[in-house]
Amino acid sequence: MKILVKSLLLLFLLIGFSFAADYDPNGRLILSLGGEVSVMNPILSTDTTSSAIEGVIFTGLVKLDKNLNFVPDLAKSWKVSKNGLVWTFKLRKDVKWHDGKPFTADDVKFTFDTIMNPKINSVRRGDYFIDGKPIKFKVKDKYTIQAILPKPFSPFLVSAGMGILPKHLLAGKELDMAYFNNHPIGTGPFKFVEYKTGDHVLVSRNPEYYGGAPLLKEIIFKIVPDENTALIALKTGEIDSTGIPAKDFHPIKGVNLFKYDALLYTYLGFNLKSPKFSDVRVRQALSYAVNRKQLIGLVFRGYASPAYSPCAPVSWAYSGDVSKYEYDPGKAKKLLKEAGVNTLEFTLLINHGNKEREKGATILQQQFKKIGVKMNIRVLEWSSLLKVINARKDPKDYDAVLIGWSTGVDPDAYSIWHSSQYPGGLNFIGYKNPKVDKLLDAGRREQTKVGRKKIYAQMYKEITKDAPYIFLWYPNVLTGVRNRVGGLSEPGPAGLMVDIEKVYIKSSPLSSPLHEMERGTAKQGGEEDKL
Amino acid sequence: MTKYIAKRLIQLIPLLIGITLITFFVMHLAPGDPTALFTDPNIKPEELVRIRANWGLDKPIITQYFIWLKNAAKLDFGYSYISGKPVIQEISERLPNTLILMSISFALILLISIPVGVISAVKKGSAFDNIFTVVSFIFMSIPTFWLALVFMLIFSLKLGWVPSFGNLVLPVTVMVISGLAGITRYQRASMIEVLGQEYIKVARAKGMPEWLVIYKHALRNALIPIVTMLGLSLPDLFGGAFIIETIFAWPGMGRLGVSAVFSRNYPMIMGITLLTSILIVLGNLLADVGYAIVDPRIRYAKKE
Repeated sequence: MKILVKSLLLLFLLIGFSFAADYDPNGRLILSLGGEVSVMNPILSTDTTSSAIEGVIFTGLVKLDKNLNFVPDLAKSWKVSKNGLVWTFKLRKDVKWHDGKPFTADDVKFTFDTIMNPKINSVRRGDYFIDGKPIKFKVKDKYTIQAILPKPFSPFLVSAGMGILPKHLLAGKELDMAYFNNHPIGTGPFKFVEYKTGDHVLVSRNPEYYGGAPLLKEIIFKIVPDENTALIALKTGEIDSTGIPAKDFHPIKGVNLFKYDALLYTYLGFNLKSPKFSDVRVRQALSYAVNRKQLIGLVFRGYASPAYSPCAPVSWAYSGDVSKYEYDPGKAKKLLKEAGVNTLEFTLLINHGNKEREKGATILQQQFKKIGVKMNIRVLEWSSLLKVINARKDPKDYDAVLIGWSTGVDPDAYSIWHSSQYPGGLNFIGYKNPKVDKLLDAGRREQTKVGRKKIYAQMYKEITKDAPYIFLWYPNVLTGVRNRVGGLSEPGPAGLMVDIEKVYIKSSPLSSPLHEMERGTAKQGGEEDKL
Repeated sequence: MTKYIAKRLIQLIPLLIGITLITFFVMHLAPGDPTALFTDPNIKPEELVRIRANWGLDKPIITQYFIWLKNAAKLDFGYSYISGKPVIQEISERLPNTLILMSISFALILLISIPVGVISAVKKGSAFDNIFTVVSFIFMSIPTFWLALVFMLIFSLKLGWVPSFGNLVLPVTVMVISGLAGITRYQRASMIEVLGQEYIKVARAKGMPEWLVIYKHALRNALIPIVTMLGLSLPDLFGGAFIIETIFAWPGMGRLGVSAVFSRNYPMIMGITLLTSILIVLGNLLADVGYAIVDPRIRYAKKE
């Protein structure tokens, strides 16, 4: 018996020790934010800075795994009725708000009803209307919520992933100006601690998190608006992670570098209502004139992939079976001749401050020159550019624009390609193809992934045949993370910290209480750097 | 004097109304509006129309201005479109940071530039003067953002003496270096001018010791242009330095103001413009009053 106790004790000690050597229970992760924090309320914020913080404080009914599949979160399971109209979500019963109150289906209904309230300034409201008709949310019992759709809509899970707000704290309050927006309370792995305006946001471990207590004790989000500063701070160890521009993507001591694909693509869009580009042969000619390899080499030092389709390869809907316009200046010249175009001059709009697009535009200018096409470049401030392309008139006052789409998890691209989205919507190039319209509608109705994949593959084929955009490149996401950080997920479109509760700070091999007291100070990383 | 100040203060009211009126219209002339920032293929344009209406941006601009003016008269400057916090609260959260950064830099600039300017003027053409002239011109021509990054590379990354951001040492150093040259040159020029005046000759002729001539007679007069400069730089003191604040991640007014302009955050732009214009006009007033104190020849509203 004594031996057993002794060996058990030894075992515990060993486990305890090995854990201490693995992760620091008092670890503090230091992340950088590139912009100011607006509101820490998932239904109101529109900036990536705020959503980075919301991501650790709030949770939704469903979440994305590293392969961008929807998996249960606050909902432990869900069912869709045969006709595709009724979605029933069974909720977890063990969830508590950060203030200790239990989470129930009422909170879910409250959140979605609030988004749909026209008085609230949520840009997400439109996501809960299908063809102008609202989705209805019904509380079946304390832990069951139903969404009743006016018609089948397979991208619905994206909207179901919205961070849920606590009804007991917000009911009857004026949400747009609520104190809550700067002192959020959620159901996620980390609790909000403090926000020092313009400086940092601090969150700490939620030991009662239903997904298991996080390994990190705290995360501090430091606001570092200048990307050069952020890079220096990563090198000195003052921050643990930041994005790195392609030009600076070189090995850094003490830092692990990651490169992965994202759901983004950059393109040159033609104003199809302009007589210059109404002939498909002209658009195809210009597409053939683009040497993507050269572009990517010069602009990104190779850290991007050539794009030929309106879907990023990391999306499950990706299909390579499209009309590819590989670099072929001979063919380009021939097509222009066939179209009867002797001289072509047009102006490309780009937004100010995006170095990569500015550089890319200059290279394109040279490439088009080779086939005898003169392209002028006009740099506009972002809002001015949007004003030109989003003007509610037909035709619009531009020839072509260099811009990018961040496409979202669901392949539904109705707002970009459907002919109903011109001139008032985001189909600002005025694309109209009845086949594509039909496929977009079908893609929203179809329930199975396999079926949808087929529909979208056909759509990409159709779109690329028309060459309404010159698809240029898929940028790579380049990130550096200090090597004291462990528990990262496989690099992918969902990022490196898909399960933030599993991320930890490695404790130094000579872990002792004394050492632990030093942990987390900015200096530590710097010393490592000098070794 | 009191009467004069009171008169000047009353004159400020129509001036400020004029400034806000122009700002308001110019701001609305700039293309784009606050909802333009929400571009994302999943946001529907009709949502933006609805939000604009919620903010009252669908009303005629002149109506919008009078609504703003009416509220401003009650000291209600509205809520930021971005954060939903009252404009006054956001400004007051940022103001202390800017005041700390700017006043330390300012004090250091004065402490260094006045003596250096005086010595340069007194020893005009000496090695000291020549070195500082060259150094001043070098500092004047270096862009601040470049100096900031180089300092960060040297003192944070290579030497590890100071944190690269969120700390006062580097931003203050860069601000002092870039601000030093101007005031030093000013001080030198005005000191040289004063030293050539008749009354300095008289003072010297009286057999007054040279240090007394310089510090009692010359310096006091040579400081007058510096007082003007100080009064005029008051808005900078509150307005912050955008580039420095951005590079060193210092949460001050400069960053707040510029991001408000980029995001077309109208209530915030108006709040900051009003604050800055009040400071500019007060700064001018202060400079005028300061004149009277340092220069006995100037007296206002002498009627008796």
